[in-house]
Amino acid sequence: MSAAFGAPLAAVVRLRGVLACMVVDEADGIVVASELHVGIDADVLAAVSAALFRGLRRSAEAAALSSVTYLQLEAERGFLCAAGHDGLVLVALAEPRAQMGLVRAAMMGAAEQLA
Amino acid sequence: MSDEIRRLSEELAREPSSLVFVQLGEALRRGRQPDLALQVARRGLERHPHHPAAHDLLARVHVDRGELQDALDEWSVVLAVAPEHAGAHRGMGYVLFKQGRLEEAEQQLAAAARADGTDAGAGTALRMVRRMLRYTSSAPVQAAPAGERMADAQQRVQEEARCLFAEALGDADQTALLLDGHGLVLAGAYVTSDGAEVAQEIGAALAGAREEITRVTQHLHLGAWTTLVAETSVATIAMAPVMTDSLVLAAAARSVPLGLVRRLLDRCARRATAWLTEDP
Repeated sequence: MSAAFGAPLAAVVRLRGVLACMVVDEADGIVVASELHVGIDADVLAAVSAALFRGLRRSAEAAALSSVTYLQLEAERGFLCAAGHDGLVLVALAEPRAQMGLVRAAMMGAAEQLA
Repeated sequence: MSDEIRRLSEELAREPSSLVFVQLGEALRRGRQPDLALQVARRGLERHPHHPAAHDLLARVHVDRGELQDALDEWSVVLAVAPEHAGAHRGMGYVLFKQGRLEEAEQQLAAAARADGTDAGAGTALRMVRRMLRYTSSAPVQAAPAGERMADAQQRVQEEARCLFAEALGDADQTALLLDGHGLVLAGAYVTSDGAEVAQEIGAALAGAREEITRVTQHLHLGAWTTLVAETSVATIAMAPVMTDSLVLAAAARSVPLGLVRRLLDRCARRATAWLTEDP
């Protein structure tokens, strides 16, 4: 893990139910830094998260809704969250038991530190 | 000439008796070359005079050329050979609708929906036609010419769709839309703070979003997705899948608490599902 991103990642990944947290380059979906539990495929998570964030950011901008700052996808078996800042995306993968209010607050705070 | 058209042309030249002319004709239609598509379809029919796909292709080319009666004739041939051909029923339904022949359109679209239960487009069109029928049949026959009654019914159905979420939205600064799989607005409205209606723009920007989100959850083994909430500096946008290919979207000013936006989305998703599944 890159030392520069250690604190923001740790702030998120220590929360209950969070399986992975990483910083990804929004443009190419490459991992910049990560904190993962065993069994998580970092490259896949980074690539699909960055693509989703990029697509929604562009859609929101095209619809004149300003740029997406945070997104949360809820599915049957968990959550995917992403917060963007300066071409970087902070991504978290969480289990259904995670307290998403806490995760969101931690993600927003951590994303501020990415700059 | 596109690569696809060149490849298909070469393939057809190598095997003139193959059915590849159907794909070539389709590619020409998509490439907005209806005259060439017509030639290809007619030559194909000389070799395959009883093949449903060939007549179906020719029918769609006729529609592109505005030759609606010819299209209906070709689809009738298709149905004589293949009575359960969903594409022919659907095509006839759309043409009959365009001609204002609502009862016949309803019959054809119902047959299309029966023949292909996965065809969400036919199902949506069927419900639209049934709603229009409800309004046209309630109008006194002598009140206005058929064309005017149809236009009036169309307007009333559009208004019904536009106001679909009015009760759920109340007077608060929030809005909701129902989009089909192509990003086309089925119901709802999206009016900006300065009064501009931007529903179509929002729909276009979100075309394909449902499939994209589904791909993400498949890659991450998360199961089916239920909600996506995106926050921007000015708005919170929440969306959820509805039925097999539609998407409901609720948006509110950033000042509206997230929990309220999610509750609004739930209400709108229930309303949209009921509207899409009810039998008018």
